[in-house]
Amino acid sequence: MRLELHWSRVDEVVAGPATRLAGHSLSVDLEDLRARLAADARLGEVRLDLAHPGESCRIGRVFDVMAPRAKMDGGEDYPGVLGALVRAGGGRTRALAGVSVVVTDQQLENVATSTLALIDMTGPVADLSPFGRTHNLVISARPAPGAGRSEYLAAVRMAGLKAGVVLAQAAADVAPDEIEVFALPSPARVPAALQHLPRVAYVFQIHSHQRPTGLDEGILYGDPVRRMLPTVIHPNEVLDGAVLRGFMGRAVTTHAIQNHPVIRSLYAAHGKTLWFAGVVITVAQATEPERVRSAAMAAGLVADVLGADGALLTKIGGGAPHVDMAQAAAQCEALGVKTTLIVEDMSTDGTQEGMLLFNFPGMDALVNVGSAQQKMALPAVERVIGADDLAGALRLTIETTYGGICGAIEQVGASRVTALIR
Amino acid sequence: MNPLRVVCYLNQFFGQVGGEDKAGVAPRVMPGAVGAARAIQQALGDAGTVVATVVCGDNYAAEQADRALAEIVALVAAERPDLVVAGPAFLAGRYGVACGALCAAVEGQLGVPAVSAMHAENPGVDLYRRRTYILETGSDAQRMLDEARRLVALGLKLARREPLGSPAAEGYFARGLTHNAVVADNAAARATAMLLDKLAGRAVTSEVPLPDFPTIAAPRLLPALGRATIALVTDGGFVPRGNPDGIEALAATRYGAYDIEGQRELDPALFDNVHRGYDTTFVKQDPHRLLPVDVVRDLERDGTIGKLHETVYSTTGVATTLAHSARMGREIAEKLRAAGVDAVILTST
Repeated sequence: MRLELHWSRVDEVVAGPATRLAGHSLSVDLEDLRARLAADARLGEVRLDLAHPGESCRIGRVFDVMAPRAKMDGGEDYPGVLGALVRAGGGRTRALAGVSVVVTDQQLENVATSTLALIDMTGPVADLSPFGRTHNLVISARPAPGAGRSEYLAAVRMAGLKAGVVLAQAAADVAPDEIEVFALPSPARVPAALQHLPRVAYVFQIHSHQRPTGLDEGILYGDPVRRMLPTVIHPNEVLDGAVLRGFMGRAVTTHAIQNHPVIRSLYAAHGKTLWFAGVVITVAQATEPERVRSAAMAAGLVADVLGADGALLTKIGGGAPHVDMAQAAAQCEALGVKTTLIVEDMSTDGTQEGMLLFNFPGMDALVNVGSAQQKMALPAVERVIGADDLAGALRLTIETTYGGICGAIEQVGASRVTALIR
Repeated sequence: MNPLRVVCYLNQFFGQVGGEDKAGVAPRVMPGAVGAARAIQQALGDAGTVVATVVCGDNYAAEQADRALAEIVALVAAERPDLVVAGPAFLAGRYGVACGALCAAVEGQLGVPAVSAMHAENPGVDLYRRRTYILETGSDAQRMLDEARRLVALGLKLARREPLGSPAAEGYFARGLTHNAVVADNAAARATAMLLDKLAGRAVTSEVPLPDFPTIAAPRLLPALGRATIALVTDGGFVPRGNPDGIEALAATRYGAYDIEGQRELDPALFDNVHRGYDTTFVKQDPHRLLPVDVVRDLERDGTIGKLHETVYSTTGVATTLAHSARMGREIAEKLRAAGVDAVILTST
């Protein structure tokens, strides 16, 4: 399967009379885009703002961040959610570098503000989060009267995806700066000269059932994965919009999944130091029998279907998914598959003993993405976007946590924060 | 930058009060750098001034530890230090313990950075390494000035709130505290490299050490099951409606004891669930999915077990610290034992 990402670099984003990319300057017709997004009956008033790197600006109530992408040649965007149901992962897709779509959550009465993240366009956050260094189109949409929680979140996510498609389509008349090719054959077809390479699979936990999953919480090709068992998909499907982040969204963004760092890392080494054997997707289950079944099946796919020598595992969500991932890894190790896991520092008191929630023998190769609980002070800013109700407080010097900074900790491995033991 | 105010702590020997015959002397404060503190002053150079040296006899500090500590902390506090340097104590056990205790107290009570130094086998290391920074030294004072320099270098970083290097790089005993830092490669790249090392049989340094939990064997049930009293305990967030004990939804520090006497079954209308770590829809509909009172009552009635204990214990097991988990477990176990309970069914989630 072969996917081409046609990248255009954007150095400047301005409001303008039409949405088009000229050179590296992206002009956006905000009123036209706003009207298109507001056509969704689940949404009330829609507001769009632009935030630029280096601005003294804080974006509050951040729900998710998307990368602007648009299929070329009549392909379907985000099949099963935005576009018609076809398979994702092949063909050509336009992509913009230097721009992100930030979706905020304006369902004020339903939301504990502590569950939402923020992005600063300057200061220490800009070092920690890639979204402090991109030009951001910020969508703040009020719910229509009577819209339920899941309905509203599905609508704002849809708005973010649509906006990303519109932005990427603006590059239609411009030759791409770079074409990135993701081509991986069926796992069985390894050229003889490369058969000595270790075969590595990625076990991608795409969702956690710690919360009730909404009916319209489309995660895999629009399916809310309520009864999903481990299955094998092509890594290009992940990169090309088949997998979206669920609504819980703790320390993971859709943006990170669209640019999946583990898949990219395995692709980069593919054919050189390893053979990328494929991707197994799983969900973190709610009960013990489901967890045991899922771990056994995931390990079976890794060891006996993909024939992997090694597996890299990540999790999504909180503590139960952490254990879920470790159980799958333990099953892999039992089948002779060497594993590396990306974990969070789960300690709530900053001690080494609390970092892990599991204790399986052989789990001796762990990478950590830091502690979401650790506090961090942020300087005052001049402007607050996306959180009018909190603007007074958010404009000041605030104390937040690493987990409260969108993009600082990405459980799929995109971030560079790590917890060191001192 | 103003020179830092530094207070040194020494025992009677390094403070040049006397040998073992003076081990009983009470804490005293002397202006400036006295005895071994002169090496600290030399290492400090212009960066700081040893404004006072506090000296206490080894036996005085060891034999009435609480009182001695309080007196020493008061003497130290009166000097308004920016940094406290205790030792180096090398292999001197009483001295090392006093240094560790003082540094932990100075950090904890005064909020002032403190640093100590001693040999790995000094008992002060095991007792206090988790609560304060202890630099590793040789066994005796042969290389005093060199070790004073390393001690001062570490102390200055602490006093200036500069980030510390790793325990190996800085030479201190790891406290086991985690701190976020930004590194060059993202986690995915590091994990890929680590996996390739593991596959090739090369040495791998995990970024998270595996915990070293003690194995606790399940005790044997002493009376026959038919005569045993069985209790139900859960960390699944079960609470009476209104959560009267205010059990936290996560990172719990509290547990509740709830009387179920006379209840053949749990009435869902009377109970709730506050756990924030799993989907509680189903246990709210029917609390027996978490606490099987209904089934255990059946077993009680048909004589399979002797009796169901009429108090259930509950907390939330999500992001709970090990320290609080261990304490709550110990307290619940003590109460169950005092009540004559023979066995427990623990339901987790």
